[in-house]
Amino acid sequence: MATTGISESPPAAPAPPAPAALELRGVTKEFSLRRSRTVTALESVDLTVGHGEFVALLGPSGCGKSTVLRMVAGLEEPTYGEVLVEGGAPAHLVRRHRLGIAFQEHALLPWASAYDNIALPFRVAGRPVDAARVTELLELVGLEGFADARPRQLSGGMRQRVAIARALVLDPEVLLLDEPFGALDAVTRRRMNFELARIWADQRITTLLVTHDVDEAVLLADRVVVLTGRPGTVRHVEEITLPRPRDRALARNAEFHDIVDRLTALLDEGAE
Amino acid sequence: MNGRAPQHGTRALHATGRLLSRYWTVLALVAAWGAWVRTQHLNQIVAPTPAAVFGDVLDNPGAYAPDLGWTLLNAAVGVALGMLLGLAGALLVWTSPVLSGLMTPMALIMRSVPVVAMIPVIARVVGFGTAAVLTITTVVSFFPVFVLAGSGLRAAPAATRDVFTVLAASGLTRLRLLLLPGAVPALLVALRLTAPTAVLAAMLAEYLLGTHGLGQLFARSVTFMDPARAWGTALVATVVSVLCFVGARAAERQGTARFT
Ligand SMILES: Nc1ncnc2c1ncn2[C@@H]1O[C@H](COP(=O)(O)OP(=O)(O)O)[C@@H](O)[C@H]1O
Ligand SMILES: [Mg+2]
Repeated sequence: MATTGISESPPAAPAPPAPAALELRGVTKEFSLRRSRTVTALESVDLTVGHGEFVALLGPSGCGKSTVLRMVAGLEEPTYGEVLVEGGAPAHLVRRHRLGIAFQEHALLPWASAYDNIALPFRVAGRPVDAARVTELLELVGLEGFADARPRQLSGGMRQRVAIARALVLDPEVLLLDEPFGALDAVTRRRMNFELARIWADQRITTLLVTHDVDEAVLLADRVVVLTGRPGTVRHVEEITLPRPRDRALARNAEFHDIVDRLTALLDEGAE
Repeated sequence: MNGRAPQHGTRALHATGRLLSRYWTVLALVAAWGAWVRTQHLNQIVAPTPAAVFGDVLDNPGAYAPDLGWTLLNAAVGVALGMLLGLAGALLVWTSPVLSGLMTPMALIMRSVPVVAMIPVIARVVGFGTAAVLTITTVVSFFPVFVLAGSGLRAAPAATRDVFTVLAASGLTRLRLLLLPGAVPALLVALRLTAPTAVLAAMLAEYLLGTHGLGQLFARSVTFMDPARAWGTALVATVVSVLCFVGARAAERQGTARFT
């Protein structure tokens, strides 16, 4: 409201581009060890994830994948550089309960039923539990009949489904998954991959998935970011243009195998 | 008649067999006690026979009941206060690393001090009577609860704590929904450890400082040279603390199954 006429409104400048959903700018992360020694986990990593994009962070274990994810979740601070979520600090999104996360360890409450575990984010956020929403998610992850089951009564794959449903229940803007199927056997793991592809197609949430499984990354992602080395650096970014929905027919897709072979070779070189 | 009675008979026999195979040591102990009294021709004042002792307890339950009730009340109130204060202490330590550095080593030292050594000190501070007895049972239960509740509060897996952090859980919410339920198994272990000890500590304190209770009954029986009553008191105390242990263990099993 310029009443004096001194300040002039800028000439119709192009609107600034909407911030990316996730952005890492020149991020380096050092951990301090005992006796003032430090270890560098990540070295000048740049990474951008667009809205509604599914990005897989692929790399051998120890290259800093989890560290990236933990920084995006606000669980760690970068030593140098900047981590932005929706243009702001991760803490902003966390405070508004807009971030969903699931780990390799299901991290469910052992004394609570599947229903109560999925309802947990409502209770932590101090909101009344939306029973319809919880039931909807139980259905989405295919566990309608297991609402009252406690984690120990569920199989490993079912527990991870509950954990993913819990991450989704508050309808987050960003979903973070750290090797969610890392503890499952190969067959269950692949089955869960297709489950997640289906769930994601239904929700289209901005997702960052950390994995060391090449097939899993290619099968799920719009883009695969390959991280190698110690300290970890971005070695390659692969756009995955395979058609969706991606289902078991992918196993017969030559392009799929092509990409998998290429990325596997990259990881192999990175390990030298 | 209809083939059922024999079945019942076999089942009862089986049950008896199981009981015998599990608790034969107890029977052997009682038998050895009887044999010892008989072969040594001990005076009844020195050592009464098992029959005399069991007989006294079974024939005069009224003589034991009020004191037993009093002792159980002392023990129960002591355990309850000890659990409450122990948990409160563990929570204080949880909120402040400074307090933790101060209290934890002290608790570990105090835990290894035997009750008998504490009694004169406590008597000096709070005097004789019920207050002293309650203080002792409380102190005896406090330290195991404090230590176990402390580790119970830290038992939540790192990944679950991270989930709470990403959900922006307040300290109080984290405590209520994650840490306290997670500490229940540890608290039940503490209960199993303290319940039988508290009964014996209550008796010991009553014997030395009290006015009522099994400890006093024992003291009176010794003074009035009623060995069957004195030994009967010991027998009742033993049975009761074993029952406390069995009860607490059952609670622990139930709770562990529910909370893990
Ligand atoms: N809290 C920590 N303290 C010290 N070093 C850490 C910590 N977290 C991770 N690191 C180190 O950082 C490197 C990357 O770890 P991480 O991100 O877990 O790798 P990844 O998930 O790819 O297996 C490893 O060398 C690991 O030892
Ligand atoms: Mg990892």
